[in-house]
Formats: sequence, C-alpha cells, structure tokens
Amino acid sequence: MPQPPDPNGVFLNIPYDEEFRSLYVAYIVGLCQLDLIPHLASEIPGGERRLSRIFQLIKSCRYSIHDLSRIEVSVTATAVPRFNMPLELGMTITWQNLHPDRHTWFVWESEPYRLQRSASDLNGTDPYIHNGTAEGVLRELCNAFPREHMPSVPKMLDVYHFANLSLDTILYKNGTRNPYDRSVFMELCWLSKTLADLIRLGGPAI
Amino acid sequence: MRKPIHITAPRPTPEEWAKHFPISKASEKALQALVEEFKAGLSHQKELPVNSIEPEKRRKRASAA
Repeated sequence: MPQPPDPNGVFLNIPYDEEFRSLYVAYIVGLCQLDLIPHLASEIPGGERRLSRIFQLIKSCRYSIHDLSRIEVSVTATAVPRFNMPLELGMTITWQNLHPDRHTWFVWESEPYRLQRSASDLNGTDPYIHNGTAEGVLRELCNAFPREHMPSVPKMLDVYHFANLSLDTILYKNGTRNPYDRSVFMELCWLSKTLADLIRLGGPAI
Repeated sequence: MRKPIHITAPRPTPEEWAKHFPISKASEKALQALVEEFKAGLSHQKELPVNSIEPEKRRKRASAA
C-alpha cells in the first residue's frame, strides 16, 4: 500500500511563466490562509527524472489544483501548445481512479466554457473560474476548500498585496528572477503562512 | 460536477510547517523584517477612524459647501 497522503497537502499544477506570477502568489497566499500546504514540482531537489518527482509529489498530496487557464499556443515563431499541465492532470486522474480515497483533483480555468473547447473529455467536470485575477483565485480557493474559521476574501487580499510586493525583495535576496525557484517558493510560503497567522490572531476586522 | 468537500483534517502544526518549508536563520531574519513592515501597516489601519478613509474627498466636499 502506498504511504497515506498529507491531508493538508495541495499539489499546484500551474504554468511557470512571468505572466502567471501574480496568480502564483495568490495560490500560495490563499492556500496558506486556509492552512493548506502548497507544493510545487520545483521544490523537490533534482536528480531523479522530473516526471517521477512530479508523480511522487502528486501521490504525497491529498488534493491537487490543475490550472489550465494558460493552455494556449505560445507566441514564439515556432508556436507549440503547452502540454505539461494536461499531462500532469492525466497522471493525477489515473492515480485518483486507482485510489479514490487518497486524492481529489480540481480543474481551474480563467473563463467559463473554455475547458469544453480545450479538453472536451473533461465535460462533466465543472472548473473553478478565477477570471485571471488574484481575487478570483482567492475566492475560488474558499469555494473549493471550505473549512472552519476561514478568513474573508478581503483579508486574504490584504496579505496577497503585501506578499506580491515582497516578492521582488525575496527574488533579489535569492539572486534570481525566477519566482518559481525552490528557495523563492519556500520563502514565499514561509512569509504567507506567518502573515496568515498574524491576520488570524488580530488583524483589523474587514 | 464540482466535488463538494469540507476539510476536516486537523490543521498542520507549526512543526509540520517548519518541516515543509525549511529556511535558513538568515532568511528568517530577512523575512521577519517584512513581517514587521506588514504589522506596522496593520496597526496603522487599526488607528484610522472609519471616516478617515477618503480625507481628500471630504475636504473637497467641505470646501464646495
């Protein structure tokens, strides 16, 4: 039998690109506010094959979020659609079918009905629509993961704005421009969790 | 169909968080400075009376009257 998953672990299957940066911060801030533990493929040190590492991470998490909002043809001259996110979703669906009690997956999109055009085999799956905004991500996280004593979306947004501004400091400190680097991800999670605790313990009522 | 779930698992303990997101003492110190900045913003927000949100607008309205 496989190891039981972390009951608060959430694997984030998201695009690692500059345009997604603000939504990436919103996912991390929102999950930390809900006392869920975000996980990214980049957090596992290299060595093993990337796909194996990703599958290990999916198996270790009770939930996964698959954001398909940026499955599109890239703008480079040799335009290629992005297949990483659907590939990881496919692996997750198989895992969940084999072990239905161990994993629950969610699909996220930016627009209603876009999923029906990009992946019609997923018809019958209602995606969470974030409208491409940080506020939308936070709102839909609250819809997807209801639990006792949840913060309000405006409170979450306060933390999001601060964390988003702080990201440049974190990037500079780590000598990178990539917000998805392991060290940056770890520090962003640490900061988000600490701010979430502060808000919970005595932030102003919003 | 959206799958309705309600999370009932116990929240992660501080030790679990620390295990998942290990950062160096130096990083913790630098991040703590950001936390202090956030705290300062929070206490400033607390001090503001409700009607001080848009002082500029109120000033204009008063001078127009």
